[in-house]
Parts: sequence; structure tokens; C-alpha cells
Amino acid sequence: MMSLPFLLFACGLGATWLRQRGAAMGFWIAGLVVLLVLFRVHMTDVLNIAL
Amino acid sequence: MPGDLSRLLNALGLIAVDTVLALALIDQLWFRDLPCPLCILQRGAFFAAGCGLALNLVFGPRPSQYGVTILSAAAGTAISLRQMLIHIAPGSPGYGNAIFGLHLYTWAFIAFALMIVGCAVLLLDDRQFARSDPWSTRLSVLPLTAFALLFVLAVGNVISTVLICGAGLCPEVPAGYLIFNDNLRLTDLAQSP
Repeated sequence: MMSLPFLLFACGLGATWLRQRGAAMGFWIAGLVVLLVLFRVHMTDVLNIAL
Repeated sequence: MPGDLSRLLNALGLIAVDTVLALALIDQLWFRDLPCPLCILQRGAFFAAGCGLALNLVFGPRPSQYGVTILSAAAGTAISLRQMLIHIAPGSPGYGNAIFGLHLYTWAFIAFALMIVGCAVLLLDDRQFARSDPWSTRLSVLPLTAFALLFVLAVGNVISTVLICGAGLCPEVPAGYLIFNDNLRLTDLAQSP
């Protein structure tokens, strides 16, 4: 799951190399959305301190 | 700004992104400093920002592609800021190794902020977008190296993240490479008759 953004960005770079600009932008948008969803999931990671 | 100078500056920016990501991977592998989930997401934001610079190298500079980098850097800023706020409380030692007194997520915040400012400065010059002759799609050594390195690092991070987190979400404080220890128990399988 957490490797999905890297996979999508790698696909985007591959599409860029193949001169497929639309596909590259599509992979980037999908990667950013997944990144933000994962950020939402991990945003409430607890702080492990003794007060 | 001539198109060639624009391409050079984008290539240098991409080399800087590559350097940050390579150092993060070296820190993980050499110093055994495993990345937390938010650290992994910050790496992802660096790759997202690098995609915009890579698009500029191949297709020529376009405002929308600078937008790709700025939006990605804004996401990275939010993630690194969140991690700074998690550890800002008194008594929190922070996460991971510190370099020159600042943790990696603090350096990431500074880098993302610089990236936004750098793209904004590059966007100030309209001449790079009004190029009459066609943009050469043939990359010279520096842009090609920067592009190839980003791709190799992206594939390396796919493998690294699968090894740390398996197929699900990452543990908040990773204790080791999950796929070797807990999920698949590859070492046990190898030792069993």
C-alpha cells in the first residue's frame, strides 16, 4: 500500500520517457491523490512521550 | 531566460532532488535509520516534485509542469510540518538521526519551501515559454543522468517500502524489515526441512 505512490511516480517517469505527456500527468495525479490519502491515514500517528 | 538555461536549471533542480533521495536511502541502508510512515510520504512528495522537473526536461518548460512541482512541494511541506509538530512537544527526542542539529523532516521542510520559491522565481520569466524553434527532445548528459537517477531511486523505494511495510500500512515506529521478520518469515521457511 505505502509503495503505491512510488510505483505510480515511477510509471509517470516511464510515460515521460516514452513522450506520453497525458499519461505522465495522469500517473502524477493518481500518485499525489494516493499520497494525500495515506497522509490522512497517518496524520494521527500518536506522540510517544511521558508528560 | 533562454530555453537552454531553463533546461539547465531544471536539470540542476532534479539533481538536487536526486541527491536528497539518495542520501535518505544511504541513511536507511548504511546507518540502519528506518523511515517512519511520514518520512516515507515525504520521500513520495520529493518524487512527485521531481516528476514536474522531469516533464520540463523532456517536453520543455510549461507553467502547468511548474505547477506539478509546486503542488507536490506544498504536499511535502504539509507532511513535514505535521511531523515537526508531532515532535515539537518537550521531552520528544524527535525521530531518526539529526544532521547539523536538525532532523531529516526539518531539512525536508526547508527543501520543499526552497523548491516552491525556486519554481516561483523560474515562473517569473515568460521568455522560456515563448520559444519559436521546436524543443529538442534529445537530452544531454546532465538531464539524462538526473532523469535516469530519479527513475532508479523510485524503483529502489518501491522495493524498500515493500520490504519495510509489506502490502499494508507501515508501523508507526518500524523495528525492522517487516517482510523478513513478521509477515512472510522467509528466514524460517529457508531453515525448515
